[in-house]
Amino acid sequence: MVDISKLIEVRGHARGGQGMVTAFEILAKIFSYRYNYEVQAFPFFGVERTGAPIQAYLRISPETILTRNYIYEPHLIIIFDEGLIEQTPVFDGLTKEGTLLINSNKPPEYFKGKAKHIYTIPATDISVENKLGSKTLPIVNAAMVGAMLKILGADIGEAMEIIKDEVPAKPDANAASAETAFRQVKEFTDEHYQPAQNGQSPPAGKEPNWEVPFWDQPMSINKTGNWRVVAPKYEDLEAPCTDNCPAGTNVRKFVKLASEGMFKEAYETIYEHNPFPAICGRVCPHFCQQNCNRIFLDDKVNIGAIERFIGDKNGQYQHKPEPVQYKEKIAVVGSGPAGLTAALRLRKLGYEVTVYEALPKAGGMMRSGIPAFRLPPYVLDKEIEKIQHQGVEVITEKRVTIDELDGKYSAIITAVGSHIGSNLRIGSNEQVIDGIEFLRKLNISGNQEQIKAGDSVAVIGGGNTAIDVARTVLRLGGKPTIYYRRTRQEMPAIAEEVEEAMKEGVPIQFLTAPVGLEEKNGRYELIIQKMELGEPDESGRRRPVPVEGSEYSVMTDKLIKAIGQWPDPFVFSGNEIEARQGRLDEKLAGSKTPVFCAGDMAWGGTVVEAIGSGNDVAGEVDAFLREKEWEKPEKAKEIATHDKINYRYYLPTPGNPTPVTTPENFVNNFAEVAGGLPEDVIIEEAGRCLHCGECFSCGNCLNYCPDAAIFIDDDYRLRIDYDYCKGCGICVRECPCAAIQYDEKNRLSEEKEPKELHQK
Amino acid sequence: MLQFDTTEIEKTPRADLLTRHTKKVLKGNSAAAIAAKLSRVSLVTAYPITPQTSIIEEIADMISKGEFDAEIVNMESEHSVFAALIGASLTGERVFTATSGQGLFYAHEVLHAIAHMRLPVVACNVGRPSFPWNIWADQTDSISQRDTGWVQFYCESSQEVLDTVIQSYRLAEKHKLPVMVVLDAFYMSHTSENVYIPDQKMVDEFCPPREKTDDQINLKHPKAFGGLVGPDIYDKYNRLHWESICKVEKETNQLGHEFDEAFGRKYAAVEAVNINEKTKKILVTMSSITTTARQVVSRHPEVGLLKIRLFRPFPKESVLKVLDTVSDDCLIINIDRNFPGETEGAMMQEMKRALHGVPNKIFGVFAGLGGRDVSSKTIENILEVDFRAPGAEQVIWVT
Repeated sequence: MVDISKLIEVRGHARGGQGMVTAFEILAKIFSYRYNYEVQAFPFFGVERTGAPIQAYLRISPETILTRNYIYEPHLIIIFDEGLIEQTPVFDGLTKEGTLLINSNKPPEYFKGKAKHIYTIPATDISVENKLGSKTLPIVNAAMVGAMLKILGADIGEAMEIIKDEVPAKPDANAASAETAFRQVKEFTDEHYQPAQNGQSPPAGKEPNWEVPFWDQPMSINKTGNWRVVAPKYEDLEAPCTDNCPAGTNVRKFVKLASEGMFKEAYETIYEHNPFPAICGRVCPHFCQQNCNRIFLDDKVNIGAIERFIGDKNGQYQHKPEPVQYKEKIAVVGSGPAGLTAALRLRKLGYEVTVYEALPKAGGMMRSGIPAFRLPPYVLDKEIEKIQHQGVEVITEKRVTIDELDGKYSAIITAVGSHIGSNLRIGSNEQVIDGIEFLRKLNISGNQEQIKAGDSVAVIGGGNTAIDVARTVLRLGGKPTIYYRRTRQEMPAIAEEVEEAMKEGVPIQFLTAPVGLEEKNGRYELIIQKMELGEPDESGRRRPVPVEGSEYSVMTDKLIKAIGQWPDPFVFSGNEIEARQGRLDEKLAGSKTPVFCAGDMAWGGTVVEAIGSGNDVAGEVDAFLREKEWEKPEKAKEIATHDKINYRYYLPTPGNPTPVTTPENFVNNFAEVAGGLPEDVIIEEAGRCLHCGECFSCGNCLNYCPDAAIFIDDDYRLRIDYDYCKGCGICVRECPCAAIQYDEKNRLSEEKEPKELHQK
Repeated sequence: MLQFDTTEIEKTPRADLLTRHTKKVLKGNSAAAIAAKLSRVSLVTAYPITPQTSIIEEIADMISKGEFDAEIVNMESEHSVFAALIGASLTGERVFTATSGQGLFYAHEVLHAIAHMRLPVVACNVGRPSFPWNIWADQTDSISQRDTGWVQFYCESSQEVLDTVIQSYRLAEKHKLPVMVVLDAFYMSHTSENVYIPDQKMVDEFCPPREKTDDQINLKHPKAFGGLVGPDIYDKYNRLHWESICKVEKETNQLGHEFDEAFGRKYAAVEAVNINEKTKKILVTMSSITTTARQVVSRHPEVGLLKIRLFRPFPKESVLKVLDTVSDDCLIINIDRNFPGETEGAMMQEMKRALHGVPNKIFGVFAGLGGRDVSSKTIENILEVDFRAPGAEQVIWVT
């Protein structure tokens, strides 16, 4: 207990917002009104706000107080926030017989050596229990008043009314807090305490060489960084474009490089994940583009056109073949995007890889399923040649099973795609042409005899195959009509392709399904039933439900089905194996060589999904052979979604759509429909990128920082000077593209109510 | 009657008056606000500036609660704050405001107008310096207004602020002079301490309502105020102003005496502590530094203390009378918490002027500027300076 028969000088250390100044005033009032003492309570008033280290002073004396200066040699030091011990010289000047009170959950013995008499009180816990302030900034003053009254030998009962009257809010909670603290304060006396010989304060810094004007010194001396309770930091978030690329391509990066005219680097960026930029630039549904945040401002960035340009521009790019460094040999069955991607990855890692292809030419579905007017064969040839140039061996016209390969390789990857068309419920194989087979024959052999000029052709289905078949029929002189059982919204085909088909004049009968077929005079009478949409099915799309009595008939010369595809089980020697991504061994008892699976036969139906699948399987095979753990690369947790973008900092700018030609005469015209954009337009289009989640050095943070705590470093990057950053968060709020985040590690608590923080 | 006691002033009211006071722990700013209320001010103009803001905030609070019967008007600047007081005071109302630092500088032109229009405005100024930007204790702002024609008091405690505002209305209205009551930033404005608040009746008896006079606005007798005054009579305005100013020192002492009789607390233009024929050094101080100096002086029998409470007009007679008894070799050391852009601080200048022809040597110390703490150690350091040493400076800076 502190002797109060003479003048007692108290110095307090707290953070702005904890209520220390009010606490000292309350104590002054208690000693004045209840004990008739002379009192002085005053803060060292700075320009500080919430969180800043502050000091306040209290004098109580039975006699007149003849001093008005600050307190340098206090009898009692009160520390409201334990964290201040590291930041400010809180123990300075404490008298030899002095007393220390610390808001801490630790026992007083923990602070041995700091004072003769040491008290601790868990004021933060007491205050939070009484719902005073938040965990980030608890208002601990009432609890500290209670503890101080105990130390000063005062009576808590006498003080209650004054505490209730003087606190700005919650009188009962504050009184309860003070009372609890009064009873919980813990004491430790160190009879052998000796003050530190050299004092506790660090040696005074060299007096600066003052010159007039010397504005930098008075301003920089106050390192306001220690006011911070939350820190901002530059931290990239994943962009939605990159996040949505099944191949894992760093879309934001290659678009940025393109905007700077760095097309070679952009190509290398794409090639890290995707060896088919020119192909994907043409046929990919571009999930990146579909999820582009710019859609919420004006129009998506035309990433497809940019990718196509980069692919075409680097047509002559010379890849350097990597040397073979491992003895293990790998067989890949199927030369589609999954097989070739996996083969290239493994070859570059140093394995010898052989790809087996049943057809005369490599490319899989890219070769056999996509018509030339969408993907000219020379584009495909060029990208496959590059893969072969890097050392991947491709053996064509070799239809193999895993049994044939078993034992000859260290690993087998099956990636044969889905080239068998599903059957309709009506008609025989003679009556109904399989759409995927129809496209394959035309693409591989260059001719077909099934469709004659003038034929009316009914195409059943709503996927890309149906659309490609219909547009091909058009180019063969036929008259196609697509029958699809749901609406355009549910169509799995790429939206742009549907658009183009309709523009070319392909009629699509939505909400229709064929239910009967009859041959009549060498033609077919097709019975069509109308449908309506019911409840959603497993795919999430609304289920088509037949409309009773709505049947009607149409006459058609030909009927082509395109309602789904499935893998050819030949590769598994005819065994019905449920193909799925990754290793399949457990299903293939007896085989010596481990078998892996990838591509369309495992999951997904687009080129880019197959590429992603190929990347993954290559990683898994390499890990297996090198006896390492493999896990699919994790997706970024936080994405710079559109709600995080400050659209007001971007100017609306019209986009540059891909030019599409609709030929006047389709017959035998397989010329590419979609065109490319010129280089200057590509640079302009790439320049429309919002840079979601990545700093693009716009300088908004630098302009807005009220403390000039943001600077440009030697590498011209924006950086935060944490000596002065008060953690106000304005930079986080004003960053256009969500590239500055709160540092969760430096955050004291998630609970933070501004209202409470500003309570006095 | 002058107060030259060598003992410190008794702060506690006399026992017979104690029951008519309420003891409160108050900040200097609160004391100023309550003094305005007790003086029955009817109009307050307001513009916020640290460290004064809580004065007008507390007034606004009391008015909103119906405890203080006055109008408060939020103005768009300090220039307007004081300009509006001209009009309000001309109607015969008792008016008040408070400002600080840059606010006072901004009002400078209007301060002249108020004084020379002879309006009994009372304003508190919480002292802070000009530039570099700083909000802490310093008297440069009010010192720089010393030639505007206002009376200036510098207070030492919250109690003195309260008591001085009440006395100021008596002085102001009697002599038609504006009065500035100055308190130190934070050392007084934000320091909570014991204050004895007199009951309203005591204040009403001491400071009755402002009289209606012919020079105020009267709707039945329209007049023009503040028009052009030609060379033929301009100097007459100044001369009359001067005549009133000449009475202020004596009036201050008289009021202090009357206040003591009514309230039990003595005040005067100056206060002397431990000054006699044996005194070797006299510290001359104003405001909060005085309190700390009292403590130091109590340890040094050979050192005296002269507190200047009335700074404008400078209480020459009172100072001379205090020094009448001291020996010729007693040193006069002035502590200046102001920098008037001169080789000497304002206090030293005034003291030199007052002591013209007096043989005692006069020295100056710049201390406590921009809020630098003046501790008892600082004052001890000042006392250790050998001003008589050959080549010693007449003016020094201490930190």
